[in-house]
Amino acid sequence: MENKPSQQKPAENTEVNQDELILQQQRRIEKEISESIALVGEKEPLQSLEREYLEDEVYLSKAKTLGQKYSYIRRTRPDGNCFFRAFSYAYLERLIDIKDEFEKFRELALKSKDNLVSLGFPEFTVEDFHDTFMEVIDKVGAGTEASRLELHKLFNEQGYSDYVVVYLRLIASGQLQREADFYQHFIEGDRTVTEFCHQEVEPMYKESDHIHIIAMSAALGTGVQVRYMDRGAGTEATAHDFPEGVPPAVHLLYRPGHYDILYP
Amino acid sequence: MSEPQSTLLLRKQLAELNKNPVEGFSAGLIDDNDIYRWEVLIIGPPDTLYEGGFFKAHLQFPKEYPLRPPRMKFITEIWHPNIEKNGDVCISILHEPGDDKWGYEKASERWLPVHTVETILISVISMLADPNDESPANVDAAKEWRESYTEFKRKVARCVRKSQEECL
Repeated sequence: MENKPSQQKPAENTEVNQDELILQQQRRIEKEISESIALVGEKEPLQSLEREYLEDEVYLSKAKTLGQKYSYIRRTRPDGNCFFRAFSYAYLERLIDIKDEFEKFRELALKSKDNLVSLGFPEFTVEDFHDTFMEVIDKVGAGTEASRLELHKLFNEQGYSDYVVVYLRLIASGQLQREADFYQHFIEGDRTVTEFCHQEVEPMYKESDHIHIIAMSAALGTGVQVRYMDRGAGTEATAHDFPEGVPPAVHLLYRPGHYDILYP
Repeated sequence: MSEPQSTLLLRKQLAELNKNPVEGFSAGLIDDNDIYRWEVLIIGPPDTLYEGGFFKAHLQFPKEYPLRPPRMKFITEIWHPNIEKNGDVCISILHEPGDDKWGYEKASERWLPVHTVETILISVISMLADPNDESPANVDAAKEWRESYTEFKRKVARCVRKSQEECL
């Protein structure tokens, strides 16, 4: 398609085809990923992380040190939704064992819809996502061994799994907009908090940054610890607590562009 | 769930729009057995060049709806800077963030899972009243709109008349 009328036609046409090709290739890669990597994988011993980096000294030494603190890793599909998917899976999995924390979370989840509607989110669609979100919570809420299987099954069913992500994105967006005065300082460029939410938080497949994690942990009152594994100096993947000083309920591993779940 | 989320949400919207119609358009299915293909009839918004027209358009929803947006195409002939000559509607709300080939402004509203048929059509109706010539899909219409408005008006008026005849 043409851009601006002032541009020359032939140049536009090549641009057009390039764009189409890039988009097509992107969809192909997405399809390959979705066919080869589960939305949420099985729990694997942490050594499986070391095996990925036999040829890479920096990462290998960090994987080894990580192995002294964590026993298992659970991988998620790298589709841009991995933070929200990993976080919600790990948190719900934890709540299976802690009845009173589960009840508190359920209460908060139940009320969250009205909070979003009062912030101006359209009730019609929010309600739809909320219903599915509550359905998932209640299905894993029994607190039995079967709950674990149910959780794993639901998180690997695209419909349920993605709706949970959509809803968590709305909760995070609601949190940012409710405390807009505070979060405005963390947003780069001249975007308002609401614009940022519409562009970076609410849309599916948009990757998460610190601000998403801060918003999520603040909205649910949950501590999250992220281990950052990259090419930086040292032999340890740096730990970062959200918020600082709160004991983490969820442990995540970050490698550039991607989050997986860790188990101490 | 036996059916994909998208069919449930679309069914719910169809029922709601039938029960509580929204001013400015009506909506239904092209084929009763296919919830993913809708036909809408947009009434040319009052106090615009399109007033008095009845414009038929199709919405094609992907299986991933509402995670991904539907595509919209006018079936009735319509002359507008943001509608391609073949009827395809090009507004930012029908594009995902990151899909930047249209050169929309960064801050313009993109597709979000909370959008509905109603919010899409409200955007389209407001686009009819107020074209965006920053990212025109019909370059000739955009040029006329800017440089020879009389000719632009004449072409739109012809579309309006034609749409009335087709509706009879």
